[in-house]
Amino acid sequence: MLTSPYLNKEECKMKYYFSRIWAGILITLLSFSFTSSSYAIDIKLWDLSARQGQDEFYELLKKEVKKYNPDINVIVTEWENEAYKTQIQLALNGDDGPDVFFNWFGEDSARLARAGLALDLTPYADMEGGYGSFISKGWQDAGAVDGKIYGIANKAVSKYFYYDPAFFDQHNLSVPTTFGELIDTCKSIKAIDPSIVPWPMGNSERWKLNHVITMLNQRVVGAENTKADYALTAPDDELFTNPKYVEAWEKVVELNENCFNDAPNATNPELTRSMFAAQISPMMYCGTWCGGIFASEGFTDFKMFRFPRVEGGADDGTVGFLVAEGLQVSAKTKHPEAAALVASINVSDTMALADAELRGSLISNAALIDQMEDAPHWFTFYVNDIADKSGHVNVLDVLLEANVSNAYLDMGTEVLNGTKSPQEAMDFIRKVALEAKAAM
Amino acid sequence: MNKTQTNSIGFSLSSDRVSVIILLIPALIFCTIFIFIPAFWAIVGSFYSYGMTSLNDWKWVGFDNYIKASQDEFFWIALKNNFIIVFASIVLQVGVGTILAAILDRGIKYGKVIFRTIIFTPMVISSVAVSIIWLIIYDPNVGILNSILKAIGLPTPSMGWLGDPDISIWMIMIVAGWQNTGFMMVLILAGLQGVSKEVYDAAEIDGATGVKAFWYITLPMIRNIIIVAILITTIGAFKVFEFVYVLTQGGPSNATQVLGTYIYLQAFNLLHMGYANALSVVLLIIALILGWFQLKASRRA
Repeated sequence: MLTSPYLNKEECKMKYYFSRIWAGILITLLSFSFTSSSYAIDIKLWDLSARQGQDEFYELLKKEVKKYNPDINVIVTEWENEAYKTQIQLALNGDDGPDVFFNWFGEDSARLARAGLALDLTPYADMEGGYGSFISKGWQDAGAVDGKIYGIANKAVSKYFYYDPAFFDQHNLSVPTTFGELIDTCKSIKAIDPSIVPWPMGNSERWKLNHVITMLNQRVVGAENTKADYALTAPDDELFTNPKYVEAWEKVVELNENCFNDAPNATNPELTRSMFAAQISPMMYCGTWCGGIFASEGFTDFKMFRFPRVEGGADDGTVGFLVAEGLQVSAKTKHPEAAALVASINVSDTMALADAELRGSLISNAALIDQMEDAPHWFTFYVNDIADKSGHVNVLDVLLEANVSNAYLDMGTEVLNGTKSPQEAMDFIRKVALEAKAAM
Repeated sequence: MNKTQTNSIGFSLSSDRVSVIILLIPALIFCTIFIFIPAFWAIVGSFYSYGMTSLNDWKWVGFDNYIKASQDEFFWIALKNNFIIVFASIVLQVGVGTILAAILDRGIKYGKVIFRTIIFTPMVISSVAVSIIWLIIYDPNVGILNSILKAIGLPTPSMGWLGDPDISIWMIMIVAGWQNTGFMMVLILAGLQGVSKEVYDAAEIDGATGVKAFWYITLPMIRNIIIVAILITTIGAFKVFEFVYVLTQGGPSNATQVLGTYIYLQAFNLLHMGYANALSVVLLIIALILGWFQLKASRRA
């Protein structure tokens, strides 16, 4: 201990101890700052909540990511579908949003890219653990906007008619291959027992019928004829004027009269799933997520068929409903490389296989499907059928501009309620489309 | 002596003023952060066009958003629905609440506490939970309401209670009334219990009993409480959101749209933030006018 000629011994002692205490505090603070800056990288990941296998899936993802970078902690938050649509937009504009987030690929993902809220992931394709080595060019393009990759597709959803083969066999009903046969099947089911709902429709959240009109537009109007209208690039005097659109709505009226339950606009979609799973209704149109739900409710002996072609329609019935889904990275993330790595590992061989096995997803890394052990029969059907389709159509509430999409959703309830005729519905949609186009 | 008193009083007043300011500061800070600044930006934003995903790209549009609102049929439907809810809430919540309070105050002798608790209970449940319970009750396929009606041979609406645009708004009103009537009852009951028993005794001598006493004695004496109850209900009816959002999301076909849900739709689904701001400013002005009335009525009460 040094002494000073200006201080007495006690004062020197005190100064010595104080200097040691200060040094201790400084070392502690410095060590804390080094610890936090050199190691942990927290990556917040937002996803929709899933009914099965999600916890195990994300536990595995956390482990897989750590194999590439042990400092990355993946923090997963799950959201309900409707709440998520709003919350993600708010969060991406704030400073505390997710680094990596789920999105539907189409207008929803492209809008975020155009607004500069989604990170361009093109430079990360070929890094170590990058998505470029896991998914095909075609699947990479599902997340592309203007030639750049703004999202990594890890799965897709499609829709099919599910039916109860035991009921069909018992009553000598055959699987309909045309829209006319579908209506006849509904009539036959009602003739067997008028209390049976042939095809339960729960449109209280509006999107259920939107999926049906998506397919009817495809079958009746066709992809070539809808393209310019959907993109709002058709000339004003032609925009949504094709009379086939009205014909598609007329098919909805036919379905409502012959197939659907009463009060579809007041019926919950989950209830209709249960009606089929409980074998109260022999048929329903549902997503590829439904197979697992039916199985979890105890019904596995169902079969599927495609949305039938419409007689005289523009589509031969080989084009299917398909919405790609995946992860995007926030442009505001403080760790772009780590976030891109997490989104990439999500489509790695290990994770893709786990996604298919644990969550029942139709994965983008399709080459791995053969490696699945004990794949349920519906899963094999989806995979084979999607591969067999000549093309795919995206759902209108994801594909269309927000105002036009909302108009289609609203007109679905109006047509089902009979408060608007098919022609009035299309007149309204055209009016909204013209306004939306003018505002672009 | 006088000078000293004056000084003393002067000093005391100024110290009170300082205390008042100090005590107000926390509330002012919170009000500024959570009310004044957002309200200011809502007013500013209402003169621009921008979306949720284009927050940095504001385009000046002047009064266009307000002109658009005046020409927007769904805005008028929403405003009309708010007024329907105001009217129906006053009848259902204040009216029924007053009758229930009068019954509990003077109509029954036993079990007052039990009845009061039962009627008040829905008030402590979250509005979202209440809405979900009623969603199940109203369900056209498995709901108990349809089951009861069918069991006694009565018809049920073919489009469903919440799917029929002509009745769905009234179905929402029943849910809101079921939850909030208990609160109105307790509020009015407190007023009734403040009415002196001697007044009723004197009225009885003059021949005013029962409904007559309620009409000529009770109602005038709790007039101010009822005014406050009406204003609370009116403001609540203009702010209504969760019942509509959970039960119908403004549907079917915008038939149950109210300002709250329509602003939400415009802001977060259709991404018209500027327009949503303009609608919010309209709602803010209505709320300010009603708030001013409430303040005046509260002071009189």
